[in-house]
Amino acid sequence: MPELVTLTIDDREVQVPKGTGLVETAMGAGIEIPVFCYEPRLGPAVGACRMCLVEIEGMPKLQAGCTMTAQDGLVVRTAATSDKAAQGQNATLEFLLLNHPLDCPVCDKGGECPLQDLTFRYGPGTTRMVFPKRTFDKPIPISPTIALDRERCILCYRCTRFSEGVAEDHQLVPRNRGAQTLITTFEEEPYRAPFSGNVIELCPVGALTSTQYRFEARPWEIQNVPTVCTMCPVGCNVTVTTREGKVKRILSRNHPEVDQGWLCDKGRFAFSHLRAEDRVTQPLRRVRRRGFATISWEEALDETERVLRGAGGRIVTALSGSETIEHAYGLAKLLRTGLGAHSAVLPEETDVAIDAFRLPLSAIRGAELIVVVGDDPVAERAPVVDLWLKLARRGGAEVVTIGAAGSVLTAPGSAAQTCRELAGSGSELGRRLRESERAILIWSSPGGHGGAEIAALAGELGFAGKPGSGAFHLPATPNGRGVADAWAAASDDEGPNPEPIAVLVVSGDEAASDPHVRALAERAETVIAIVMFERVALGWADLVLPGTSYLERDGTAMNLEGRLQRLRRAAIPPVADELSWLSQLAARFGVDVSPYPAPVFEELAGTVYGGLTLGELGERAALAERAQIPAPAPDPDTEPARPSDGHYLNLLPYRPLFAGAAVERVPELQFQRPAAEVELSWDDAQRRGISSGDEVLVRSNGTSATLRARLNRRLLPGVVRIADEHARDLHATVEVTKP
Amino acid sequence: MYDEIQEIKAQYPRTRSAVLPALRIAQQRYGWLTPDALREVADALDETPAFCQSVASFYDMFHLAPVGRRLVEVCTNISCALVGAQQVLEAFEQELGIRAGETTDDGQVTLRALECAGGCGWGTVVAVDHRYREPVRPEDVPAIVQEVRDGG
Ligand code: SF4
Ligand code: SF4
Ligand code: FES
Ligand code: FES
Repeated sequence: MPELVTLTIDDREVQVPKGTGLVETAMGAGIEIPVFCYEPRLGPAVGACRMCLVEIEGMPKLQAGCTMTAQDGLVVRTAATSDKAAQGQNATLEFLLLNHPLDCPVCDKGGECPLQDLTFRYGPGTTRMVFPKRTFDKPIPISPTIALDRERCILCYRCTRFSEGVAEDHQLVPRNRGAQTLITTFEEEPYRAPFSGNVIELCPVGALTSTQYRFEARPWEIQNVPTVCTMCPVGCNVTVTTREGKVKRILSRNHPEVDQGWLCDKGRFAFSHLRAEDRVTQPLRRVRRRGFATISWEEALDETERVLRGAGGRIVTALSGSETIEHAYGLAKLLRTGLGAHSAVLPEETDVAIDAFRLPLSAIRGAELIVVVGDDPVAERAPVVDLWLKLARRGGAEVVTIGAAGSVLTAPGSAAQTCRELAGSGSELGRRLRESERAILIWSSPGGHGGAEIAALAGELGFAGKPGSGAFHLPATPNGRGVADAWAAASDDEGPNPEPIAVLVVSGDEAASDPHVRALAERAETVIAIVMFERVALGWADLVLPGTSYLERDGTAMNLEGRLQRLRRAAIPPVADELSWLSQLAARFGVDVSPYPAPVFEELAGTVYGGLTLGELGERAALAERAQIPAPAPDPDTEPARPSDGHYLNLLPYRPLFAGAAVERVPELQFQRPAAEVELSWDDAQRRGISSGDEVLVRSNGTSATLRARLNRRLLPGVVRIADEHARDLHATVEVTKP
Repeated sequence: MYDEIQEIKAQYPRTRSAVLPALRIAQQRYGWLTPDALREVADALDETPAFCQSVASFYDMFHLAPVGRRLVEVCTNISCALVGAQQVLEAFEQELGIRAGETTDDGQVTLRALECAGGCGWGTVVAVDHRYREPVRPEDVPAIVQEVRDGG
């Protein structure tokens, strides 16, 4: 129990734990200390704007309240009871408005602007500024997603502190000094970093705005819908702003255990995929040599029924990890109980073993030792987890990354072997993990048996008995686990893998883009694809049924912590949503599937989630208790790591964050997609006389790609990294030469 | 330059402490901090060019634009201002035919206004290629300009 202190604010006595910020202390007592620059998530207060001036007994001058903490006996007066403080704040606002344009009527921030609101409450009602104000070119593109109206900037440094101290990308910086300071990037290059969009939300004025949202809506015309991002397995809580049923922007909705109010740019900006020009809005039938022809829903359902009936049960279903649990369950119930089609390609392997070491993501901040095993950068697999790691590191935690580009270098694909070594008695790091009360393991690689590998390690290190120690597995898909649960909940029966495959049902664009699924499709007589985008299905699907996006669905999804979260429909889809027609189709097979997500959830939750109801999930879902299950034994046959012989290099392909069917359809995000580059270690580049920026030829048995070289000083010699969309058909070992 | 900066880096517990000396090396080498020079410094320190430019822009001693062969700087901060720094600066402007912050057409002389040069007791302080002349009065200016032009 921390020591409590008693202080007086505006004649009111308040008791709080010692060290609580004065702004929070006052807020707790229902008293406002207005702020601009203060934002505890950005680190220590900087006292840049002076909006928070308060009078403190015994101090001759007004103090910046945001820089103070609660102390015993402090007597504080805010503008409410102190004329001096009121005058100070009034003067501060007059200064802030000295060069600030009065363009609120055409400013996107107008109506939800702290500067406007605080001027209304604390500022001068008139201006004495009769001189011309400073002006700049405007808007300045900070990036294709962010615009800067420089004359509106009040130099609170929130944006640059975010770039420096939260995202640690050091790209958005202040230039010059004092009143001459400008917010800028290097040489007007775009601010290209995975979390850049957060600065728009942080800016307390209309200086940094979203190019997608500029001039799109006024605050009194919009509706905000609380939902959850399912573009990756983190599941950040978001607020979706809509106007007339259309999504206009996505804002964070702070879940302190999941996202701390930060979003990555994919989650924030990718929503315009809803309006992609190749969005499927009608069922389509493949026509020889002419692509697709539109058919009516009635025809589509008849055709689907006919094809499914004719399959004689020889049906395989490929599901995407981006489905909601309800949608996956509806489909599973129809196919499994109605048609006995038990063969599925699930988005990924999942294992409940990890639940025995469950922790909220926020526990990372409190850990003292964090070990990340695997070759994939955490930011590419589960972006916001990377921010938690950075926060932990800044707080003094030791973060060890073990992989082909880690702080400890290992051969690619050796994550499982690393786990084995850490569990062994010879490992010093393993010993420290075992001894720590607050240690965290993270698996950031493909494979890992759905979390079983890292769970086995956690078990051997004795984490089960330590509430502060735990393990995370970073999956490849947003809701792969929920989809697997839904599939399992629909039936207990099993069936053989059909051969040959009569019908392949592909649900979702993610599965439809998967090369393995495409390979199956070649062996199937008929392919039914439920997709959002026509081009994804073009050339191989026989029947296309329109899909919807997570922003258009009600339902639930389970994130990487194992937290079940509630999605709400923010936008009305241009097509009937999956459950509604699945329900009709199911009825034709005598299967009862509700067209509404709530009863569907209730039905499946009875089987797999202990009878939980949607209402219990709430707006900020809680994390279930740790499961009491014994840790699995480690898998004895781990894949051996591939050594490099110097001439041939090991190719390490990775799936970039900014990839996938949705991102490809968002013009503003194209600059974030990975360049056609190959990352080389310093040694390998030197040996081949290659420097950064050179064009090089990457070759393996019969295939080749011309890419630009980029030197990565952290990469293990003998390894090259290429984003999978550029690696395409290259084999596991490649040669790199200068043409 | 990469190796030179590594040596400096090794002297500090934190890389960031090496930013100022590294920038100085780059400026000495290129005359001013060109974008490429900033990229080089950033690469050697494992920082971003934006960060290095941000730091450099804070200090008057770093040039983010080309400067002339000779550099004349006039302190216009408070103590010097009180004893007529503005008049001294204007005298330079007139004599050189350029405004503060500009370089003569022949690329010979750059004139700049400077924040406190740390010689407040002898204002107005004028620095010619970082060598102080103090105190300078407007009437001293033609002689100084002549000397600079003559290469003295
Ligand atoms: S751009 Fe906005 S967030 Fe950045 S310093 Fe200016 S006012 Fe603050
Ligand atoms: S981190 Fe993942 S869940 Fe969060 S905003 Fe980005 S894509 Fe969405
Ligand atoms: S909020 Fe306190 S100085 Fe800005
Ligand atoms: S004010 Fe000119 S040297 Fe200090």
